[in-house]
Amino acid sequence: MNAPLIQSPLQPCPCGSGLRAARCCALNVAALPPAESTRHLVPLVERAIQAHRQGASDVAERLCLDVLELAPDRPGALSVLFQIRKDQGNHIAAEALLRRIVGLDPNNFQATNELVLLLMAKGAIPEAEIHARNAVRIAPQVPQAHNLMGMIMTEAQRPQIGEFHYRKVIELSGTRDPILLANLAWNLKNQGRMEEARDLYKESVAAAPEIRQTLLGWARLEEADRKFDAATDLLDRMDQLWPNDPGVLLTRAVLLGRMKRTDEALAVLDRLAALDSEGRLGPNELAEKGRLLDQMGRYDEAFAAFEEGKRLVRDLSGNVYLDEVAANLVERLGGFFIAGRLATLPRATVRTDVAQPIFVLGFPRSGTTLVEQTLSAHPKIVAGDELPLINDITNLMPRMLNSPLGYPEALAELWMGDQHEGLDNLRDYYLQKVRQMGILTPEAAWFTDKMPLNEMHLGLIALLFPQSPLVHVIRHPLDVMVSAISNHFTHGLFCASALETAATHYVRIMALVQKYRAEMALRYLPVRYEDMVEDQEATVRSILDFIGLPFDGACLAFHENQRYARTASYAQVTEKLYDRSRFRYRNYRRHLEPVIPILQPMIERLGYTID
Amino acid sequence: MALDSSDQGAVMVPVPARDVLLLAGEKEQAGQLAEAERLLGYLLSVTPNLPDALHLSGVVAFRLGRPAEALDKMERAISLAVDPSLYLRNICEVYRVMGRLDDALAAAERAAALRPSDPVCLHNLAVVHNERLEPEQAIAVAERALLMAPDLAGAHFAMAESLLILGRMERGWAEYEWRFRVPSGQNSMPKTGKPDWDGSAFSDAHLLLVADQGFGDVIQFARYIPWVAERCPNYAIACAAELVPVLRQLAPAERLFQRWEQCPSFRMICALSGLPRLHGTRLETIPAAVPYLRAEPARVAAWRERLDRLAPPGLARVGIVWAGRPTHANDRRRSVTLGQFAPVAAVPGVALVSLQKGPPTSQAGGYFGRAPLINIGAEVQDYDDTMALLECLDLVLTVDTSVAHLAAAMGKPVWIMLAYAPDWRWLLDRSDSPWYPTVRLFRQSVHSHWNDVFARVAAALRDWVAARR
Repeated sequence: MNAPLIQSPLQPCPCGSGLRAARCCALNVAALPPAESTRHLVPLVERAIQAHRQGASDVAERLCLDVLELAPDRPGALSVLFQIRKDQGNHIAAEALLRRIVGLDPNNFQATNELVLLLMAKGAIPEAEIHARNAVRIAPQVPQAHNLMGMIMTEAQRPQIGEFHYRKVIELSGTRDPILLANLAWNLKNQGRMEEARDLYKESVAAAPEIRQTLLGWARLEEADRKFDAATDLLDRMDQLWPNDPGVLLTRAVLLGRMKRTDEALAVLDRLAALDSEGRLGPNELAEKGRLLDQMGRYDEAFAAFEEGKRLVRDLSGNVYLDEVAANLVERLGGFFIAGRLATLPRATVRTDVAQPIFVLGFPRSGTTLVEQTLSAHPKIVAGDELPLINDITNLMPRMLNSPLGYPEALAELWMGDQHEGLDNLRDYYLQKVRQMGILTPEAAWFTDKMPLNEMHLGLIALLFPQSPLVHVIRHPLDVMVSAISNHFTHGLFCASALETAATHYVRIMALVQKYRAEMALRYLPVRYEDMVEDQEATVRSILDFIGLPFDGACLAFHENQRYARTASYAQVTEKLYDRSRFRYRNYRRHLEPVIPILQPMIERLGYTID
Repeated sequence: MALDSSDQGAVMVPVPARDVLLLAGEKEQAGQLAEAERLLGYLLSVTPNLPDALHLSGVVAFRLGRPAEALDKMERAISLAVDPSLYLRNICEVYRVMGRLDDALAAAERAAALRPSDPVCLHNLAVVHNERLEPEQAIAVAERALLMAPDLAGAHFAMAESLLILGRMERGWAEYEWRFRVPSGQNSMPKTGKPDWDGSAFSDAHLLLVADQGFGDVIQFARYIPWVAERCPNYAIACAAELVPVLRQLAPAERLFQRWEQCPSFRMICALSGLPRLHGTRLETIPAAVPYLRAEPARVAAWRERLDRLAPPGLARVGIVWAGRPTHANDRRRSVTLGQFAPVAAVPGVALVSLQKGPPTSQAGGYFGRAPLINIGAEVQDYDDTMALLECLDLVLTVDTSVAHLAAAMGKPVWIMLAYAPDWRWLLDRSDSPWYPTVRLFRQSVHSHWNDVFARVAAALRDWVAARR
């Protein structure tokens, strides 16, 4: 959150609202006068609304500032001033005003709606979710409330919940709005339901043929579904309508890359750069450019593009590795989950009436998608993808266990007579959410949860699911680093915002895992990504043995598995296993030099070498 | 310089090198190693090539756990000395600890030749022969040492180990009694003033049995308790609390005592490890009726349920232990690392169940073998738990540690990996044990080298898995 720093209450507020700080971001809500005492200001507010409506924003602004100086909580004046600042492009002031409107009146649907859209636009998804849920609470019969939830949940990678709300919009509005249909289509594409998504795109485009976002989404669906010709046609059509559109060009570059036409793809990105006033690409474009250069063997240039992309992401999002948060949590987890304490803690019982999770653990980009695709080709296993639920439980736990402590210390409540079955409740929360997501099929005995870095919570997972297999995908740490630099992800407290912090987080987590393993009896199997590539069948057999399932040949032909993996690995897992992904770091030996001292001990402990 | 750090502020006066050396020697003898080191450091800074100082500094470094530095200093002392015989006598022990047995033998033999009337040289030579698994030579050398010094406890003990490993038990047990007179054994029995039991029967007073030595020994010799009960029905046993789950199975719980002051008054005393001698055990008469230990059924059920959750179904459950108690005198030779189990971990069809306890448990965190490893040892509280778990396993692979004895006394199949020169109880060459019918022994064929042991164990395990199917 970029709330402006408060300086003096007498100074103009640094947020740029035009109000004094004492009437704006430093407002003392408790000291506000009662609403009736400022009722004589209502006519002024009405004049401001009128003036704003007639385009006299100078007058409207002056009136609002005057009213708010006397009555800083007048909702009408706040709303008009918000509109004015928003129209001026003063985002910081607009956000501050909007938050105040919602804060003063949580039942204001319009303001809540605005706030959700604003938060979504800046990528603050978890916060947006809080307000979107509130919108549904305020107006359960208003389609837009559900539309917000649909968008947020799709964006938050919980597409099943998003789908529920999009369908609610259709039901409540009684219409099939083409934009909504396109949004639903994108949602279904993220669930791997390509055919249904395609039909919805067709319907949407038939009703509204020239919506840019719709056509782009459709093109990306076709690309993901390996229908390269269809994707090309759509992009050609968009080129006619919107020549030099950056989104179209990036999608074209990705498509050409997947078609192995790397030279052309690179040329498209160069065109894209030329369109920018400073000749520069955005983070996603730079990552794509790096990957193309990597495929072409131009490693120095590739690495430069990756690094530039990382820098840009840092600058644009302001997200850097939450170093102290990570260090603190890792230390507390390691200090809590020790053999002596674990001997006194209960374990959740094992449910036999529902499918049980298999946890596929690993650093992002270490091969977890590959393992999930392989396993979910088995008739008894369905893919759950990256489930955010364990993380949710770490946040919910103190409340659910009625504890004044945080995670993991809140587990101390399990010693209380009224909470000793608390783990069963947490387990059921997880299983119920899974059921709601619609992942499970009648024949599935297991489902996978491949949320990367869930291994941070190995201790909690083992308490909740003492029988669940924990499959930890291990890969040469330097290869993990190459992947971390060439992709953007936010897992691991933004550790991948720079190479060094990715390495630091990697070492922290691996050391924590080793601690858990030394202190606990876990149903844990390390699987080397390299073994998977080198001796796929033996590796798959050992994983299935470990889970307790008979071998199934379908697992070896996982690239024929129709399921579409939503994560960044999708383009790779639809190809047969290939050797190029092993020891890729050798191409970047020199560039990785800064992190080798950080990783060296772990590389050795894992049984790898650097050569 | 100030000679003693307790004389803070003392005036620095030049001190003859000989006096500093003597003082350093006194400090070393008194166990004040840091102080000895400080003095020797000063001395060597002034006279870097003084052989006595180099040698003593090496001894100090060795006692401080820095054998490489010790060797370097002692070797230099030997090369500089006019008479290196004392240094050779001592360096052989450093070579032995570092596993350089040829160098140890050469040094010990040279020392013995240079100091023909020094029984300590022969004692050291006997110890080297034992480590080289040359018991006949060790006996011959120890005999010569004892001609010169009949009360040299270490030579008797070296003799005992050699005789017992050869299966010559009658004299072996007699010499074994000297174990309480070597420095490391002097505190294993209480000083009560009461006479040692001679094996004769009496029922009008108590006999106190002491569960002495390591837990493995207690488990092994606990088999003699019924034999004792026949002769002295009024016996009591002093033992560590950890051993109650074991001894409770052979003696009523109310006869087990964890504190000396709680023991009943007694007429005679006997170490558990002295019972084979009193029993007159020979190779052919070892009492080996297993099982003499059993797991509690309720605990077995609980652990089986726990294990069923953790261990994949369909895989053989193979217990493993890779290290003994680190304070054991022989731990360096008997313990391995979990990493050395790699060939075993590569055998398909098995899940490894770690029964490891203590600091080496942390190695479980760094295990990345193919067979799943279940670190159940982290949840084990006592020997009751261990026995219940052993009951749930199909096989146990272990180094020579108490879990080996426990599993063997329960009559479970257990494969024990032994150092080149193992403890006397495992005898020579054979792969079975007259003490435990269900034991299979895998011996090092080259001193300190485990690789071929694990290769053989892995091959045998493959056959074993195939035979189960």
